[in-house]
Amino acid sequence: MKSDLASNRRTFLRSSSALIALPFLESFGFRRFASAAPTVEPAKRLVFLGMGFGVTRDSWFPDTKTTGTEYELTPGLAPLARHKEDLTVIQNLSNQFNNEAHWGSTFWLTGANRYAEPGQSFHNTISVDQVAAETLGKETRFSSIQLGYRGGDNSGHGPGLSLSWNRQGKPVAALNTPVTAFHRLFSDDSTPLEERQAALRQQRSVLDTVLEDAKSTKKGLSKADTEKLDEYFQSIREIETRLSKEEEWLDVSKVTPSQPLKEPGEGLEGVEEMKVMYDLMLAAMEVDASRVFSYRQPLDTMIRSMGATITAHNMSHYGEGARKEVSEQRDAKQAELLAHFIDRMKAIPQAGGTSLFDNSTLTLGTNINSIHYLNNCPTIVTGGGSGIKHGRHLVMKEAKSPLCNLWLSILNGSGIETESHGDSTGVIESLFS
Amino acid sequence: MKLARSLAFLFSLLPLTAFSANESAAIVPEAHFAIFEKYCLECHDSLTEEGGVNLDEISFKIDTVASAELWQKVLNTLNSGEMPPEDEPQLSDKEKTEFLDDLSHEMVAAREILSDSGGMITMRRLNRREYENTIYDLLGVTIEAEELPADTNSDGFDTTGAALFFSSDQFEQYLSLGRRALDQTFLLSKEAPKVLSFKRESEPSINKFFTKTTAKLKTSYDKAQEWRVVADTKKPGDFGFIDEDDVKFHERLYNQQYATYRHYLDSPEANSGILLSQLFNGAVVDKVEIPKKWPAGEYVLKVRAAALEKAPSHERFMEYGLVTSNGRAGELDLLGCIKITGTMDAPEVIEIPVTVSQTGSRVFGLRQRQHNNRDATRAAFLKSQVKNKVGPPPSLWVDWVEMTGPHFDEWPPRGISEIFFKGREWWTQPDEDVYAREMIERFATRAFRIKTPSQSYLDRLFDLYLIEKNKGKKFHESIRVPLATVLASPGFLYLIEPVPNLGEGKNPSSSTRELTGLELAVRLSYFLWSAPPDKALYKAARAGELSQPGKLAAQTNRMLKDSRSDEFISSFAHQWLHMERLDFFQFDFRQFPEFDDSVKAAAREEVYATLRAAINEQRPLRELLKSDHVFANNLLADYYDLEVAQSSKFQKVSLPADSPRGGLLGMAAVMAMGSDGNRSSPVERGAWVMRKLLNDPPPPAPANVPQLSRLQGELLSPREMQNAHMEEAQCAQCHRKIDPIGYGLENFDAAGKWRETMVLQRAGKKKGAKKRKVIDIDAHGQLPSGVAFQNFAELRDSIASESNAFERSFTEALIEYSLGRPYGFSDESLRERILKRARSKDGEVREFIHALVQSKPFRTKK
Repeated sequence: MKSDLASNRRTFLRSSSALIALPFLESFGFRRFASAAPTVEPAKRLVFLGMGFGVTRDSWFPDTKTTGTEYELTPGLAPLARHKEDLTVIQNLSNQFNNEAHWGSTFWLTGANRYAEPGQSFHNTISVDQVAAETLGKETRFSSIQLGYRGGDNSGHGPGLSLSWNRQGKPVAALNTPVTAFHRLFSDDSTPLEERQAALRQQRSVLDTVLEDAKSTKKGLSKADTEKLDEYFQSIREIETRLSKEEEWLDVSKVTPSQPLKEPGEGLEGVEEMKVMYDLMLAAMEVDASRVFSYRQPLDTMIRSMGATITAHNMSHYGEGARKEVSEQRDAKQAELLAHFIDRMKAIPQAGGTSLFDNSTLTLGTNINSIHYLNNCPTIVTGGGSGIKHGRHLVMKEAKSPLCNLWLSILNGSGIETESHGDSTGVIESLFS
Repeated sequence: MKLARSLAFLFSLLPLTAFSANESAAIVPEAHFAIFEKYCLECHDSLTEEGGVNLDEISFKIDTVASAELWQKVLNTLNSGEMPPEDEPQLSDKEKTEFLDDLSHEMVAAREILSDSGGMITMRRLNRREYENTIYDLLGVTIEAEELPADTNSDGFDTTGAALFFSSDQFEQYLSLGRRALDQTFLLSKEAPKVLSFKRESEPSINKFFTKTTAKLKTSYDKAQEWRVVADTKKPGDFGFIDEDDVKFHERLYNQQYATYRHYLDSPEANSGILLSQLFNGAVVDKVEIPKKWPAGEYVLKVRAAALEKAPSHERFMEYGLVTSNGRAGELDLLGCIKITGTMDAPEVIEIPVTVSQTGSRVFGLRQRQHNNRDATRAAFLKSQVKNKVGPPPSLWVDWVEMTGPHFDEWPPRGISEIFFKGREWWTQPDEDVYAREMIERFATRAFRIKTPSQSYLDRLFDLYLIEKNKGKKFHESIRVPLATVLASPGFLYLIEPVPNLGEGKNPSSSTRELTGLELAVRLSYFLWSAPPDKALYKAARAGELSQPGKLAAQTNRMLKDSRSDEFISSFAHQWLHMERLDFFQFDFRQFPEFDDSVKAAAREEVYATLRAAINEQRPLRELLKSDHVFANNLLADYYDLEVAQSSKFQKVSLPADSPRGGLLGMAAVMAMGSDGNRSSPVERGAWVMRKLLNDPPPPAPANVPQLSRLQGELLSPREMQNAHMEEAQCAQCHRKIDPIGYGLENFDAAGKWRETMVLQRAGKKKGAKKRKVIDIDAHGQLPSGVAFQNFAELRDSIASESNAFERSFTEALIEYSLGRPYGFSDESLRERILKRARSKDGEVREFIHALVQSKPFRTKK
């Protein structure tokens, strides 16, 4: 006999999976949509790159006296020179509730107030990428992709499993190595379809079984305990959603990008690891595996792979001397990696003579300004996907303008209609004019 | 509420709070009202509300999240110097210091009050440690659940239920981890594996390699010299070189390494064994690889070794560990460190128990103790090579190594026999399905600790088995699917204490009830063992014994004696004392060659061993502050320059009367935590003492306060440098209390060694100025209470005499760890009851634990 819960869940899934439409791709017409309508607007994409500890203050931020197009790139941004016309540096954005000098990512995309809930020492809200994924993720195999790195948090990101937080304000897990990301995105399961269907059925039976226990556990729980158990239910629900999506895509092969990728080596660390992650994001965009990406980047291993013998935390407390040099090299390397990523995004064509870059919005930044400063979060936005007028250095008039205004602007600019995000007070008009 | 009215309100409160300041409400003292009038209300009153901030109506009692936020804003803007604006009248330094001091402390109190859980304990999921221990208890296998979030809680303990999330991917991780653990359990065949053994002597291969390398270096070098003679007329290519750079490269290789290898091969000891030298390319590691087809399990690594005659004492230690693909030459995943007492005339045979895993590295390595970093080894090599041309003289020699195993305590292992309860004939059961059903029920019941699984759940589990079986899978494969599912079910993953007999519409949070015996058993075992109850505890619970104070105390004592309580001691002490700081920074191997990973591990262990001994020997807590002995193993004793018996185990070592050791402040781990790996940090140390020993936590460092970069590059003593903290009013408010404590600890260097002088080094470049300077340590200072001290000994003694504060700190942490919720102001009466009882028994550590376990909050569900 089927339980109420299970049948409700099934009903829910049936109705929601019906909404999942398959994408049309310019270069890869799917067999079953071979006769679909010819042209569609190229998809909007979002990329969020979180870098952990802050930047070197004197050599990263452009002079605030030179705004608009008349500004000079600093040494920390110099490697981006060839894309200067296509990027915007924004100053004076920050999250008002920020009070943790080692948490560069926890609230970066959420703007939440950690203490908003009395009786709780930690609280968070949905991150901007997950808001976007609810819309942009409908048509792709993966609603969103979260990337991260292996190992503890020595890089200044703070609590969380990736940059992303779900509707309930709970951390969303990341693919933490290039190998796992590669397989999730591009490996096709070679087992026959029937077996995979059977495997899905097995997974469903397992879910039904644990729900059976969860249901009886729920009886007689106090209010707070029930809320705790809801996290478990939520986890199961998310897997359900993913499974039904997987089912929809079961007979569609994963698409191979134009430049075939090799399986990344095990144990890649630091800069090499980051390069591969950028490659994987690019390939995933090219084949439209997903439209929303967040990447919580390694910093400790990054600087070590560049020859530093200090930790990222040491680096962030730079004064004059060796630590500052490491910090400066790191800034330049970040910019260099981003510049290369932009090069490659510009080279991938999309419908209507545009490029991947033209239809995407990328943000590089962190919640930490520099050392222990939390005002004026380093922020670079690039890509033509949300209609931002690039090539400029914007200094917000208010010293503590909400960073969430930028997130709201990007959401709206990418066609996602929402009134607010986090503590936003409105879109930043000057981005678009 | 207008300012005037809030004033009246406040005054009405004052008499109540006069003697219990900060204990039940956070109130900004009235003395500061004038500041508001004078500097703020001009713009921030209800009429103007500049910046949307209206301070006219601010409540001086910080009792809501909203008012706390407004006060935080006030604090932030004053701290950053943003307010009052530049062109407005400014607060005097005195006003500012005092106001910020009071306000920041009230904010600490307010956070505590506002985050108070009112005594509620939220149901929690097993944290990662508990999960691993629970899996071990069920299946008898150790798995490292690295995929799971670490559950470390920056503010508190990893037992705090409300902070233990369940993220979307976690369910699948539990499923696959459970599956992995079961696979490992089921891997064992029906017969006990035979004990295998092999012995290896490494000198033939290493000598052959060095002989070959030396010959190659020499040949290339000789060729290079031949070319040099005729360099005017002939090209490097004629001699097999690419170009002149290539010639230089080979000359350099020769100069770097030839003499060293030659010297190695010429050493008499190299004929009979392997010398664990330090070379240009890293440490020499004697490796032994366990063949892939040997089963995983417990093995014994036997080593015949000796220390060379001239070896200094701190080099007479051999490290062992796993060689992995991630490590560079000579680096190991360290497992331990052993003192070598054998001599070349009388080598010793050491036996080291090791665990061989199924999937991880199977190459074990031995090397002389050193920093686990090839750069460090190279630096040590080069430093010595400059003097003697051949590098550091080796200290250890290994004759042979032998690996034997796997060894099993019992066969079949407990994990298997508990699941296949009908004994070893499980694979020939006549009715598999009936057996499967029983197995599932027994396993789920055991995994669920107290909860009885529902019948419909068991039915579904059984269905999972049938589905697999109908696919044609074997019995022992099919059964794993339901068993793995159990390990991802709420009944296993959560510590559940339901509110029974709850009628429709009743509010469960209003009721408090006694825990059942079984629930109390589970709480107790996760408190003291981070693992499920054992049979004896379950038995006592079922017999209703835990409701009798005497019996409950007896169980507590039994559990504390059991080695499983190591988990409580290390996890609690690590989190309470914020020992994660020990791993925050890398220690500079040039400055602190002896403070390597092995010493660091021993230093960490000293903290645990001291707490362990205090519990076992029924000693008072205050001995953690000052003591005439330490607990050390031979490695740490060597680091402290103490004499001990030859043992790698921790033991009690008496101290000379004038020793700075003994007590937390004399521990290398605690002092190293108060450094950045290069320099000692009086601020970190002072703040730690205030937080942990004086129970007077300073407010967290405010954001956006300028770092003192201005003075960087100056040759200043830490005291001179820190004096800059006093220049800014917003810094002075806290640093005037914190820093002087830190000065009293300056006799300990960054790695916790005693020093009388310190070297000041300039980091930046400044032309014509001196680069370094040696100064005498000046350790005088004073405690926040005003008590002055002239040196470290006086500081330690003063703190030891304030052991009441330390006892409070310990009690609050204990409450938080054991009850799984932040310590709140509503816990104060509990704290006082625990203190009273413990003090009636001379403040014995164990009495704190007993008092807590016997307390009502520990025995009830709210």
